[in-house]
Amino acid sequence: MKVVTGIPVLDDMVGEIPEGKVLTYWIDPEVEGNVFAMQTLFTNLEKGCRCAYLTLTLSPDVVVSEFEEFGWDVNSYDGFELVDLYSPYVGMPSSCSLNADPTDREAVNSLIRRVIRECDLVVIPISSMIDVCGEEVSDLLPEWCDIARDSGTRLILSFVSWPYPKNVKKSISDISNAIVKVGGVHHRVILGYYYGLIKVDWKNIKSKAILFKLVRPGGVRAYIPKILVTGPYNAGKSTFVHAVSMRAISVDRLGTTVALDHGHLEYRGFSIDLFGTPGQERFDPILKMLGKEALGVILVVDSTKPETFPRAKQMLEEVAHFGLPYVVAANKQDLPGALPPEEIRKRMFLPEEVPVIPVSAVKGEGVYEVIDALLELLTGSWQVSEDEFEIPA
Amino acid sequence: MSQMICRILPEVELKKGSNIMVYGPTFSGKSIFVRSLFRDLTSEGYGGIYVLTRDSAESLIEWLGEYYDPKKIKIIDCVTKSMLGNARDTDSIKRETVMDLTGISAKISKFFEEFWRSGVRDIVLVFDSLSTILMYMNLQTVFRFLHILTGRVKMTGAVAFYIVEEGMHDEKTIVTLKQLFSGMIEFKEENGKKYVRFVSPFKKTEWSEIAVEENAVVVV
Repeated sequence: MKVVTGIPVLDDMVGEIPEGKVLTYWIDPEVEGNVFAMQTLFTNLEKGCRCAYLTLTLSPDVVVSEFEEFGWDVNSYDGFELVDLYSPYVGMPSSCSLNADPTDREAVNSLIRRVIRECDLVVIPISSMIDVCGEEVSDLLPEWCDIARDSGTRLILSFVSWPYPKNVKKSISDISNAIVKVGGVHHRVILGYYYGLIKVDWKNIKSKAILFKLVRPGGVRAYIPKILVTGPYNAGKSTFVHAVSMRAISVDRLGTTVALDHGHLEYRGFSIDLFGTPGQERFDPILKMLGKEALGVILVVDSTKPETFPRAKQMLEEVAHFGLPYVVAANKQDLPGALPPEEIRKRMFLPEEVPVIPVSAVKGEGVYEVIDALLELLTGSWQVSEDEFEIPA
Repeated sequence: MSQMICRILPEVELKKGSNIMVYGPTFSGKSIFVRSLFRDLTSEGYGGIYVLTRDSAESLIEWLGEYYDPKKIKIIDCVTKSMLGNARDTDSIKRETVMDLTGISAKISKFFEEFWRSGVRDIVLVFDSLSTILMYMNLQTVFRFLHILTGRVKMTGAVAFYIVEEGMHDEKTIVTLKQLFSGMIEFKEENGKKYVRFVSPFKKTEWSEIAVEENAVVVV
């Protein structure tokens, strides 16, 4: 039977999960990432697989209702097995035939070994096991992996990367055949969520990050981030959007934007939508509307017209309301009299940490540096190549 | 900062990004103090996030009465879901279970994002109480959870209060937890009288006598 992750885009990347493999969802602590393992389980349950789900921090009823929230009626499938390590822990009678006290290492080990042998796919919330049973429980993982390999069972580990000791993280990384990082786009708060493939040993593929939203019902849904391109009238916003995009369209009247510029860009593994706003004040409501949904802002200024900087600051204040990170594109650097970026920073009273990038949108110079700077601000560690993944060597 | 805290602890200035432990024996007035503070701050325009591990969301809403505004007050109820598995979430009330620290952490983070995106920068977070979590989870696990949470509070410039019951935990637990906090509001009872003071690495106020009323704590 073909077992897949059931996660959009990820299935296209990794294809079928081969028998006996361990796939780990490596989740940032502030992200609701347990849904990934739930979605993988339900996708394969629907295909007729026998799937087990271990619970330690939620009662069996709550687990079932959490699946139901996403529209996944697990109880209507004969192949669903709930392994209850919660009820015995809190001293309640268990409604599941498969149950054990998580403080009894032997009982837990014996139950999990049995479940791995009998099922096609087993979801283990390994960080919850560490939290409840202690770090020593990770010593049992190699043995469980051996059994999975022998019996052709796929293990799905849901690992929330709390600040555990390095050796614990390393042991989980080492036994995983594939790791999918589920993270947050950190600014002062978390502005969005993404997942990306860190490693997979059964395919040679180029990784990319995908932003997602959780939909109830529905589960994990990939989406494309919006970047707002704003700035005063005639600063070169439309030219910027067209210069950087693979495809772009503008709604113009007599050569100036009166509604929106829209451009699409595939860059550094991300699919990005750029939305350019008109520069005139009467269109400011559009700015506010787009700011609510955007992940970051590019402020385009005409470097030859310092008299427009107060208006640029005003527009920045409009979007600053949404707390978004921003980059300044100092456009028209190819024209005589263009102020250098540091002079623009001074005149606009911009803080040191705000990147001001020299750009000539007409010539296409510096435009990708602007995107790079914004991605850097947005993501920080939002890279999904294995060498940048924070697992100790 | 709230008028109440100005009256009770006049020398104390709670800076943005502060994580404060509220510590004292049962019935010493900690919860009323924190609830009153929360009510005052949200009335002053703060966005409020209240994590409940002992009472339901409905009981807090009843206590807040006319001050409850779902746009400004977000509640994470860690009680109801364990009892009624099918309790539904709303935009301003999320139900989690007390052992699901990942769920609690994700919901707090989501509320921070919502406030941030709607332009609210002053945020107060109350965790009432950590002692319940410590009954279910070991100290190491709770420490890891708090390490992330207190870091997020600092990043967002919020102010957070965490209630801890005196007498329920050993000395090691309290000393370990204290490392994570910027200060402590401490309550005590002596000869039938109640007192409060503020302690931080840089400041220690004198004990002030207080009286605990149904809806507020007042200086005697």
